[in-house]
Amino acid sequence: MKCDDCLNLLAEYIDGEVVEHEAAQVSAHLITCANCANEFEALTAEQEIYARYDRELNISPSMWNAIAVRTAAEQPPSQKSSLRASLAGLFAIPRIGFAFSGAIAIVIIAVVVGVMYLKTQPQPPRQESFVRNGEPIVPPGGGTKEVTPPAPSSSPVKVIESRTRTPKHTDRGTKTDDPGVLFADIAYSDLAERDTAEHIQQAENLLRSIRSLQASDDDSEIDVSYEKAMSQRLLNENVVLRRDAEIAGKFPTKELLKDLEPFLIDIANLPDKTTPDKLRVIRDRAQKTEIVAALVSY
Amino acid sequence: MKRLAHELSLEGQPGAFAGSLMNSSADLVARASSGDQEAFRLIFERYSRPVISFVYDLVGERELAEELTQETFVRAFRSLGALRQETKLSTWLFGIARNVARESLRARARDSRHVDLDDKSVLDLSDQGPVPVSQLLSKELNELIQRSLALLDDDKRLVFTLRVFQQCSYEEIADITGFSIPKLKTDLHRARSEMRRRIGPYVRL
Repeated sequence: MKCDDCLNLLAEYIDGEVVEHEAAQVSAHLITCANCANEFEALTAEQEIYARYDRELNISPSMWNAIAVRTAAEQPPSQKSSLRASLAGLFAIPRIGFAFSGAIAIVIIAVVVGVMYLKTQPQPPRQESFVRNGEPIVPPGGGTKEVTPPAPSSSPVKVIESRTRTPKHTDRGTKTDDPGVLFADIAYSDLAERDTAEHIQQAENLLRSIRSLQASDDDSEIDVSYEKAMSQRLLNENVVLRRDAEIAGKFPTKELLKDLEPFLIDIANLPDKTTPDKLRVIRDRAQKTEIVAALVSY
Repeated sequence: MKRLAHELSLEGQPGAFAGSLMNSSADLVARASSGDQEAFRLIFERYSRPVISFVYDLVGERELAEELTQETFVRAFRSLGALRQETKLSTWLFGIARNVARESLRARARDSRHVDLDDKSVLDLSDQGPVPVSQLLSKELNELIQRSLALLDDDKRLVFTLRVFQQCSYEEIADITGFSIPKLKTDLHRARSEMRRRIGPYVRL
């Protein structure tokens, strides 16, 4: 492929709109041509700039109220009475009050059950979370004075741990076994980190899905329209998150997202119905680069 | 995987409400068509943010965008019965919003929107040449993009907004605008070039 042809197709390639054989040609050309690769970088950088565009628009409740009033007036006569009743119910305070009091009741019950559970826990297991192999857990940088096993009667660190742990972490057993789990959890309170973690989880699911897709006996083509759409969405996210990671100096994250990006582009450029061979190429490359393992270990 | 993709993407539209996940667009349309106001409220919750963003990009005024978004949803409610099953709800809403915005723009003098906008000097941001995007205040960046967008002609702004900000596919853009694929590709290419030319002096790419 010539540079002119590549440059003409580049924007469409990033949009996931070129046909399969052209996408393969562009991918191959970008590996060998620094100029076109630079143009590709510039285009993705532009996408990142546009992704930051915040119009600071708010959807005020009054907007829906005005629409509700206008559309209510246009209901067929047979539906007017029921509409009036539903509108009255929609904006009536008692309905909100009921929902609110229900939510409060659930919160109170959850707090009471939580406190009772903590009080009924035996003391020795609580100490296990602080001591492994007879030694207290210390942060990676040392500082044994800061983290010491607390008295059995009070365990503030454990409370923090249970509050900050997210379900995602409990799924990843390797991380909960890590002595530095407390500090990893604190890092995850950062919104960008959490976004990145979710993004990587979704990318991992996508690549696993691509790996497991198979053609049926009587149909040589495989429908990948959902995977393609998801990949286009993840690709846009990936560009933003990669730049954010770079700006924040999180270079391992940036490198991981950079390694992921070609896979997202390739999947985004697949036709809705593709051949097993095309998928195999992506699978083989994923296996060769061990991208899924890298995502899992993030 | 299809279910997962659906849950994750929510038809690919930003601003969707998590509480709306249990209702598919087809279910909501069917219920709203039979007079269920709650279903239509969920449609509004799910799509009001992308629609108002889209309208705002076309008209460039906050209050007007709110007013036209309202009008879009009222017209959508009236026309729910005409929505074909195979049409994506977001595409259909963007089509209505585009018509509403176009009517509004026609009714106004075009010059009034572009007052004080000078192609050579979009903003007084920097005399020191382009800076990394991270060094630009978000307000400055927003203003820069908004003003650059306003300098595009109507067709280019329309396709650029739908592709770059609303993540519509070319096919969806063609459905919304009625443009042919070659025309929208040309408009999009030119719009990207113009935007780069206007933003480039301020932001290092």
